[in-house]
This record gives sequence, C-alpha cells and structure tokens, in this order.
Amino acid sequence: MKARIWLALAIVPVLVLGCARRRGVENMVLLPAHDDPTVSFRFLFQVGSQDDPPGKEGLAALTAALLTEGSTQKRPYEEILDLLYPMAASISEQVDKEVTVFAGRVHKDHLARFYDLFKEVLLEPSFREEDFVRVKTDFLNHIRNTLRYADDEELGKEALYQFIFRGSPYEHLEEGTVAGLESITLDDVREFYRKYYTRDRLVIGLGGGFEAGFPERVCKDFAILPAGTAPRVPAPEPERFEGIHVRIIEKDVPATAISFGFPIEVLRGSRDFYALALATSWLGEHRNSFSHLYQVIREARGLNYGDYAYIEHFPNGGRRQFPPPNVPRRRQIFQIWIRPVPNEARLFAFRAALRELQKLVDQGMTKEQFELTRKFLKGYLLHYAPTTDLRLGYALDDRFYGIDGHYLDNFRRALDELTLEEVNAAIRRHLQYRNIKVVFVTRGAAELKEALISNAPSPISYPTPKPTEVLEEDREIATYPLAVKPENVEIVPVDVVFER
Amino acid sequence: MRRLSAIGLWTLVLGGVMVPQVQAGFFPYAYEVYRLPNGLSAILIPMPGSGLVAYYSVVRTGSRDEWEPHRSGFAHFFEHMMFRGTKKYPGEVYDRLVTEMGASANAYTTDDYTCYYMVAARENLEQVMELESDRFQNLNYDETAFKTEAGAVYGEYRKGRVNPWWVLEEELLNTAFDVHTYKHTTIGFEEDIQLMPTLYEYSLSFFRRYYRPDNVVLLIAGDFDKEGVKSLLNKYYGSWEPGYVPPQIQPEPDQKAERFKEVRYNGRTLPILAIGYKGAAFDPQDKMVAAAYVLGELAFGENSEIYKKLVVREQKVQFIQGDFGFNRDPKLYVIYTMVKKEEDIPYVRDQIDATATKFREELVSEEELEKVKSHMTYGFLMELDTPGHVAGNLAPFVALTGGIEAVDQLLTTIQSLRPEDVREAARRFLQNERRTVILLKGVK
Repeated sequence: MKARIWLALAIVPVLVLGCARRRGVENMVLLPAHDDPTVSFRFLFQVGSQDDPPGKEGLAALTAALLTEGSTQKRPYEEILDLLYPMAASISEQVDKEVTVFAGRVHKDHLARFYDLFKEVLLEPSFREEDFVRVKTDFLNHIRNTLRYADDEELGKEALYQFIFRGSPYEHLEEGTVAGLESITLDDVREFYRKYYTRDRLVIGLGGGFEAGFPERVCKDFAILPAGTAPRVPAPEPERFEGIHVRIIEKDVPATAISFGFPIEVLRGSRDFYALALATSWLGEHRNSFSHLYQVIREARGLNYGDYAYIEHFPNGGRRQFPPPNVPRRRQIFQIWIRPVPNEARLFAFRAALRELQKLVDQGMTKEQFELTRKFLKGYLLHYAPTTDLRLGYALDDRFYGIDGHYLDNFRRALDELTLEEVNAAIRRHLQYRNIKVVFVTRGAAELKEALISNAPSPISYPTPKPTEVLEEDREIATYPLAVKPENVEIVPVDVVFER
Repeated sequence: MRRLSAIGLWTLVLGGVMVPQVQAGFFPYAYEVYRLPNGLSAILIPMPGSGLVAYYSVVRTGSRDEWEPHRSGFAHFFEHMMFRGTKKYPGEVYDRLVTEMGASANAYTTDDYTCYYMVAARENLEQVMELESDRFQNLNYDETAFKTEAGAVYGEYRKGRVNPWWVLEEELLNTAFDVHTYKHTTIGFEEDIQLMPTLYEYSLSFFRRYYRPDNVVLLIAGDFDKEGVKSLLNKYYGSWEPGYVPPQIQPEPDQKAERFKEVRYNGRTLPILAIGYKGAAFDPQDKMVAAAYVLGELAFGENSEIYKKLVVREQKVQFIQGDFGFNRDPKLYVIYTMVKKEEDIPYVRDQIDATATKFREELVSEEELEKVKSHMTYGFLMELDTPGHVAGNLAPFVALTGGIEAVDQLLTTIQSLRPEDVREAARRFLQNERRTVILLKGVK
C-alpha cells in the first residue's frame, strides 16, 4: 500500500532540462502527466521585491501585475480577458522577495490558444498609461485600506518581517510602500522589465498533459528574451539585536493580533531543516488542532481562534491550509502567530506562547511527542501537492534551494531517519527565546508599553470555570518574566505602517 | 485579478454556497448511491490510483435552520463541538488518532449545510469511518468544554469583524430579510454569540434533532474498494437511529419596495456598494434558476461589459462582481462593487441599473451565451482533479438536494438555455422593488 501512496506523491518524473543553452535560456522544469487533461504553466523569473530600487519600493510587483493585468502590443487588456474567459483560464502573477512567478492552467483543448496569449503577455507587454494608473491605484488601495484595516493578522505578520529585516532588501512589503509606489513612473516599469526579464533569470515550468515537442517550442520562443547583465542582490543580513524588541501598531480594535519571531539560518533541504520542521510542526502546525500552542491557548483557555509556528514564509495563512509553492527565500524567520485575542488577554497570550517556546528550547521534545509528530507528518505531507500544478511549483522551488530529488520525498525520507536527539539538538542550535521581535496590533499602545517594561503581571479571568491545573499554570504564565527595555518598544500609528 | 478572490472567499465564510462552475454532461467519474434503511445516503465515487480518500459528511443543516429566537450562529458553533469527542474516543484520543493518520481534517458551516471532511491515505479509510460514525452518533461533551469553545467562536467573530465585507454582509442580510433565517450570517448575531455559553442543554437538543442519518449524506471519493466500503457503512452506520426534526423556518414575504441602508465601517476602506435582489430556491431543473446563475456571469461577471467599462476603461471601481449563487430557500442575487471615489457612487449605481434594464429588455447574443457555457464547463472540469476537490465541489449540490443527480440536471438545464431565458430571468429577478441596497463607507 505504501508504494501506491508514494506513487501518488511523485506520480510523474521531474525532468530538469538544459534548454537551448547556446541561446542562454538556462533551465526548464518539466512534469509530463499524460492522463492529466490540463496543462500547467509556472514561469519563474529570479527577480523579486529585493530588486526594487531604493525609493521605488513596489516596482517588481507593479511590473509583474502590469503584464498580467495590462494590455499587450497586439491587444487591449479587455480583449485578453475576453479570450481567456471561455477557456476558464487565467494568467496570474506572484511576486515574492526573490522570485516572480507567472502561472496559468488550461484544459488541453485550449492549449495552443492559451499558450499564444501567455507568450504574448510575457514577451510583448505594452505598458500603457491607463493600465499603469489602474494597477497602481489598486496597489495603493491594498496597502492603505485592505492591509492596514481589513486584515489585522496579515498586517501583524507583514509588519514583523519588516521589523526583523529592517535596513535590508527584505524589509519592505512585496507590494511596496505608499511613497515608493507613488514615485514609480511608467519609465521605471519599462526599465525594470528590460533589465530583469532576461533569459538568465528565467526558469520555464510546464506540467500536465502537453504533447511531445511542446517544451522545445516554448524554449525557442522564450529565447528571444535578452541576455541579462543585472547584478544579483546578496542575501539579506538581518540586523543583530538583543532582548525583546517590540513594535506596537496602534489601532482602534477590540482584539489584538500578535506575531513574534527571529531570523534563522536554516533553509529547506538541510538535515537540520527537517529536524526543525518536525519540532515546529509539534509546537504549532498551521491551522491544525494538533498544534501545541493551539492546545494551550485556544483549546484549554478559549482565548482565540488558533496559534501556530513556522520556519518558512507562509503568506495568507488565514486563507489556506497548506503552504504555497514559489515563495522561496534565502533567509527565513522562526515565527509564532497568535490569532486575535481580546485586548485584555494580549499580554497573557504573548507570555503563554513565549513560555511554551522556552519550554521547547530548554527541555526539548519528549519521545512520545517526537514519534507522534513523525507519524503525523508522514501522512500530512501527502496533502501538500496533490495536483500536477502544485508539484510543478515544488519542483521549481527544489531548483531554487538546490535540492537533489524532491523536497517532499526527501522530507518523508528524513522523517524515517531522524532521531529525537537530532531534533532536540537542532532546536537548541536554531531556536531561542531571549532575542525576539514582537509586533502587536492593538488599541492602547502606551498602556501595553508600560505593562511590558514594568514586567507587570497579567492575570486573566474566564467567564467559565477552568480546571485547577489550568488555573495553576495561569499564575505562572501571568508572571512569566519579560525583560523589555523602554528603548526597545516603539509605537507606530497604523496609518504610517508601510508608508515609506 | 489577484485581489478579487477576497470576495469569493468572503461569501464562503459568510454562508454563500461554494458553487463550482458546472456544465452539462461532463461529470467524468462513475458513481453509485448506496442507501441504508435508516435513511443515510452514501455517494461513492471511485478514483483509483490516487492513494487518497476524501470522506465528506454533509449535514443538511446550516445557519438557515436556526429558526428559534436568539439561536443564530448555533450550527457553526455546534460544528466546533463535534470535535470534542465521545465516550469511546474522547476529544484528545480522537485528535491523536487523526494526527497519527496525518489526515487533512476540518469542517465548515455555510447558510445551508455543515460539512465535516477528512482526506486520508486509503489504508486509513476504516479508521476514518469508525471515528466519523462514532462522533455523529455518540457525541459527548461536558458543560465546561462547551463554554470554553464558545470563547473560541467569539474569537473567530472578533478576528473577522475588522473586515468591511463582514460588516457589509451582516447589514445586507439583516436589512433584506424580515422573518426568514437568512436574516443572519452563518456566524450569527454578536449578541447571540455572547449567549452561547448558557445554551448547553439546547446544544444537546440541536444534536438530537439535526445529526440524524436522514439528514446526512456521505460523499466518499478516491481510492477505495466499493464493496468493502458498503459493508463498512452497514457496520458503522447501520444502527444509527433516524429522527430528523425539520426546522420551522418561516417563508419570507414578498418584498414590495426597495430597501436602502448606509453603513459606517470603523476603519478605512473605499466605499462598497452591494445590491441584493431576492432570488429563487435552488432547483436544478428550473430554467430560471440556471438562467439567473448565467445572468450573474453575463451581466456582472469578470468578462461582462460593465466590468470592462467600470474597471478597465473608466476605472471608476476597483472591481465589480455578481454572486448569483444557489440556496435551499430563496436568498439573494448580489452585485458587489468597490467604488474608487465617493462622488462616483451615483454614477456607478446608475450603470448597474442600466445594465439590469438592458438585460431585461434586450437579448444577449448567442455568442456571449456560449462563452459563458464554455467558461462554466471548463471551470467545472478543471476543478475535478483530486478526491478532495471532487468531494468538495459536489458537497453543495448534495447539501441542497440530498443527492448527486442535481449536478447532471443542472448541467443539462444550463446547456439548454436560450437568450430568451436569460432575458426572462432578468425580468423576473432584477426588479428594483425586490432589492436591497447597502452602501458601506469607512471613516475619513
């Protein structure tokens, strides 16, 4: 039976091919699956928000959006929409710190027509003024309204990245800053496209039921992109810091969103990564009641909707169950996400989560926790990439991280091999609880600051009776020591966040 | 296109049915409906070779069924309680077994139904069936656990309420309906959520009335042996006693005049306009139901003339979208749009009215109608790629009708539509006196 599951996970071979090397298009990742009635496209350019010029934050994202939501030299945007519509297909873009991916999926019946459009969108953009104004307005609205006001969880998480990577190319939001976006001109977009949409930066990803010969054709078509000369941005170096650093985003809300963490050096593919991934899964598996933090904060105490931990970027966590592919990064953070808690419980919830992190670091995992998590992940990883399209996404990430074989296969294999000692050693090597950065999105920032720096106890009361052991533990949580220095607490009004 | 997905998500969270785009005669898998004497139906859809099985338990009770005063939000709250375990498998044991399987397991509640799902490796199927059948028959929790969970539900409400779409949907339903239970959103009125900790006894009666085999349909899709599953169904569900007590939902009287409400959102947002027309109860063989669905796409969808005019050419709105979905009772066909400048609101509203008028008076071209049919066909087909997607996309149809036949029936009806049908649907549904208009504005 196991063999069949294995088959489901890695049902098709991944072929990483050299493509038209003489012309310089470096790589193609192919996942042929002849019984799949659809064809998936994922074209990855190694350019992202880290390449935004200073003062022009948002340029990479705006450029990519102008390709998928703009006109081409041959036709206006609305005609593209009209042509895609009967196929129920779309062309979307995703810009992260390091990479930009253009994705589309289409039924085989429409492959030829879809591909012609896909190619046209990427190779023949027209960068019209009216499209530029529309897309830029959309971006500004996203930051000023949606992110600042409509989704405190995502606001807190993005603000944490900004706080941790201050002063580095990872600092700003992928969508940019308000000031950056406002200063971008259409000429900036044209220049960015010319400079970075080059052969050397492109990885062509194709999956599904395409015919033999199709990849070669694609490869040839895209070889017309110019050779690239733009320099690569070095991996970001987050600033060093000691102690607990706090950024409080002041906002009139009844519930507080909390995110905290610190940079880590481990990346997907290394043995320590798998060990740390196992430990993090136990501490806080994303949107899963298996998460230990979830058990402590939500299940036993009913303080919020969920509490999770991560060692890789996981955008839009409130909207998805499994991690998305194609957000690879050369620097990751360890992060704990506490979903909104009533304001009066914010300090208690933070202390509870930090205390659990300390327990994990100081005591490690038990044999029982380790075995259970190992078993869980062996099954759970099967759900990460059930479709050709997702497997293609993972295969592109494998290339980014330089992984031999396939990440998910390697992960499952590593689970068989890992020992408790290795996992606990990885925890000690990479996790800690003394030097962290925290973001609170809350009302009454000054009061919170005062409570943090005075290390005031944060007792909690419940509307309902609680077992004695919970109440006893609560007393320890409420007085869990926080050594926060006044100079390490900053208060930021929400309307200033992501401004520049 | 990127950020528009938010609204689709929203209608799901707030109780709009998650509607796959369906078209005639294309459902690519053979299936069998297996019925137990106690009224339980199981729809078996073998998908050999995937190694996984999706196991969906669809309870045909959602927030629509919360007919008693001050019980809004209870179906969703009760969904949470279903994870608290039984005497045989207490919550922590249940969690442990699900964890050991590494199953993808969760649940969601909509206005018309509640769905519990597990996707697991095929060798875990019997374990899944034992666990699911046990909690559906023998759920057991004490009052303390019940009260704690009420806190988590309130947390879910708080996390959502910061979003303007949440506020909008609450106001839209509350204004559009007077007596029908669609008046409240799936999560319920805030004051009712605050009452929840006191309703332990009521929760037991809720379970007894609604969690019965004659109100539940199982959808099993994936890699399994059909005959083996049938005998397991008898083994684990055979002794489940029927006893469904239907809710006493009052029908909504005909709306005679347009309703309007301006709502203030305590945060920044571009103004949002929602126009909800009273719709029809889902009936897959009713041409007007199918035509209304197609009309929503043609008139206000991503390829509609008004989209191209207001979003792309004139750039007056951030987006516009029609949500003419399916519900068990007549609900709303809603047009949502986010307007960039406040002074353009009357213009945008006039454009929506002009579009409604046009569709009431003129015939859509055959070509445009065919594009929509094609879009729906391929949209539906392309989503049927994994056991989880197949079960998830069929769940709403099963919930609304009790069976899977509705899928093919709806497909056939959509294929048969003529331009005259679309015009007739516009005349029937897009009437100003039967609509509710909500204008939401943020703080300056």
